[in-house]
Amino acid sequence: MAIITKQKTPDRPAPLSETSVVGWLQKNLFSSVFNTALTLITIFIIYLTLSGVVVWGYLDATFVAEKRRECYDNSLTGACWAGVIAWLDNIFYGRYPREEIWRIDFGGLLLVAWMLPLWLSKVKGKILIGASVIVFYPFLAGYMFTGGDKGWFMQFMVTGAITAFVINMTNMLVGLLKNTSLDVFLMQLSGQADAGDKTQRNILLAMVATLFVAAFLWQASWNVTEVVWTKWGGLFLTLVIAGIGIASSMPLGIFLALGRRSKLPVVRVLSTGFIEIFRSVPLITVLFMATTMFPLFMPEGFVLNKLVQVIIAVILFNACYMAEIVRAGLQAIPKGQFEGAHTIGLGYWGTMGLIIMPQALKHMIPNIVGNIIGLLKDTTLVSIIGLFDILGMLRSISKDVPWVGLHKEPLIFGAMLFFIICFSMSKYSRHLEVKLSAGDKH
Amino acid sequence: MSEQQTTGQLASAASSEVMIEINQMNKWYGDFHVLKDINLTVHKGERFVICGPSGSGKSTLIRCINALEEHQEGDIIVDGIKLGKNLKNLDHIRTEVGMVFQNFNLFPHLTILENLTLGPIWVRKMPKAEAIETAMMYLERVKIPEQAEKYPGQMSGGQQQRVAIARSLCMSPKIMLFDEPTSALDPEMIKEVLDVMVELAETGMTMIVVTHEMGFAKTIADEVIFMDAGDIVERNKPEAFFGNPEHERTQKFLSQIL
Repeated sequence: MAIITKQKTPDRPAPLSETSVVGWLQKNLFSSVFNTALTLITIFIIYLTLSGVVVWGYLDATFVAEKRRECYDNSLTGACWAGVIAWLDNIFYGRYPREEIWRIDFGGLLLVAWMLPLWLSKVKGKILIGASVIVFYPFLAGYMFTGGDKGWFMQFMVTGAITAFVINMTNMLVGLLKNTSLDVFLMQLSGQADAGDKTQRNILLAMVATLFVAAFLWQASWNVTEVVWTKWGGLFLTLVIAGIGIASSMPLGIFLALGRRSKLPVVRVLSTGFIEIFRSVPLITVLFMATTMFPLFMPEGFVLNKLVQVIIAVILFNACYMAEIVRAGLQAIPKGQFEGAHTIGLGYWGTMGLIIMPQALKHMIPNIVGNIIGLLKDTTLVSIIGLFDILGMLRSISKDVPWVGLHKEPLIFGAMLFFIICFSMSKYSRHLEVKLSAGDKH
Repeated sequence: MSEQQTTGQLASAASSEVMIEINQMNKWYGDFHVLKDINLTVHKGERFVICGPSGSGKSTLIRCINALEEHQEGDIIVDGIKLGKNLKNLDHIRTEVGMVFQNFNLFPHLTILENLTLGPIWVRKMPKAEAIETAMMYLERVKIPEQAEKYPGQMSGGQQQRVAIARSLCMSPKIMLFDEPTSALDPEMIKEVLDVMVELAETGMTMIVVTHEMGFAKTIADEVIFMDAGDIVERNKPEAFFGNPEHERTQKFLSQIL
């Protein structure tokens, strides 16, 4: 055989084991007697489990019944989903007045619509859209959910939210139809495209101001009945606590992480102390502290509602975990990036905001999503201190007279709900990672 | 090493205006005395090449000029401004002094064009259109205008280093520092980077280059500085430096490297 090949060796097709299904099976499942035995045993175990679940949960199950007794009459070995179905509204919305539930749905839809442009590649100004969601949406949603009288601050923020939402939606339409950003489009429309920067800015400001005034007048005429927070509950309450917790703990965590790496000793010691104290205490302790101890330290007559206390506790607790995730992400950025940023004259905030954070956040996505999933599940702890979140609701089914003693089915249903939410988040984070790292293949 | 550069030396562009002045400068890393009593004056348009064995303090010296490292004793005066703890001065110095690193240090999450326009837009407050125009001009000069929309990770090392040079030039610096710009490159890419640097030298830029590319040093350097163990051991015109090194340590170093 010749050692040196004079001609180019032609490509040959890959062996079957690399390309066909049969080849794959043979290679991975039935490569030896022992592996074949393992495969068969595993298949048998999976069959036993699955068939049990299907028989109990579907074939023998009761879906329509008035009370638990009827489930038993129908089948003794099947699940009683009728109880869960009867309680569905409670599981999702708690004791929120039935005729006002549309407000929650509407709030949810609003959020989806607001965030929609973030997924559309044609729409410009994503950072502004993201910021507007974080700054304005909570107030609009908060007002939708609570209702009642608005103070002047609330009026102002709700107006801001409406203005931002309208601008956002028109921007999305302009982006989709004309493939440009809203300000450019408006300038073309008004024939001012060639005007100076300053004139353009003034025209835009005037437009926004008009919109703001109109929105203010409009929202002043709203009359939404008040729903006290004690009636909030179910998945809705869980999502509110977790949502606010996540949205607020993220920026707070970033600042804590920067503080911990700061060159200023006071900032560093304070941040480190804060992080370590909250991290070394279980969440349930923090929740108890917030709801029972905290009011004792406050001046008499100072009443903060329990929900706000819980949310603050969740934010502080989670911010510390977020801070450690951010710190890990920051440490993964090579020193050269800081030096590169410094040599083009960027200061501390410029370096962090433009160079370091965008790269670090990308590395942090898996951990951040892990944290979000963890927090979502941890918020069920608030059922211990007397809030009727989803877990609280699921457990009260067994105390409802027609369904007394019905534990298993509600909890399994809750588990499935959590699985769907958490698994889709984790899948989405995986997708984000792939998408964001498309640019830099090292 | 690369003999192709030895043909013909560039005329000196040095003027009498002082760009960098270093007086009795000392630096320590903890207990370790990295730079010892350094004195150096660089005039406008002058081109220095610094060489020496690793650990001799040559990189640290130019990093001190850019205020990436702090020095503990003595003065460094860059473009009339004394380096110290004053933060405002530091930011100003960094915009006047461009630096090119061994590992390029491009920003991997930004396109080439964004890498180049970031500084002018955010630091120099230049209008975006003008920044893009400048960036494209410098990309032409380093001969990769067609790569403007790519990401750094999609380019070869030589191309990345040329982008890094263009990025520094976009800030229109008065001085350019090069910290072993070709050490991380594959041999066939060294020349393309050195060619860009020679062209830059022809424009009369004040340059300090830490490198072991002796052919390059012979072509562009007004003076070659040899450093060893924190001392400037020898400085001389290139022909004298390479032809007739005075110091024993220089001779030994040159015999190993040439």
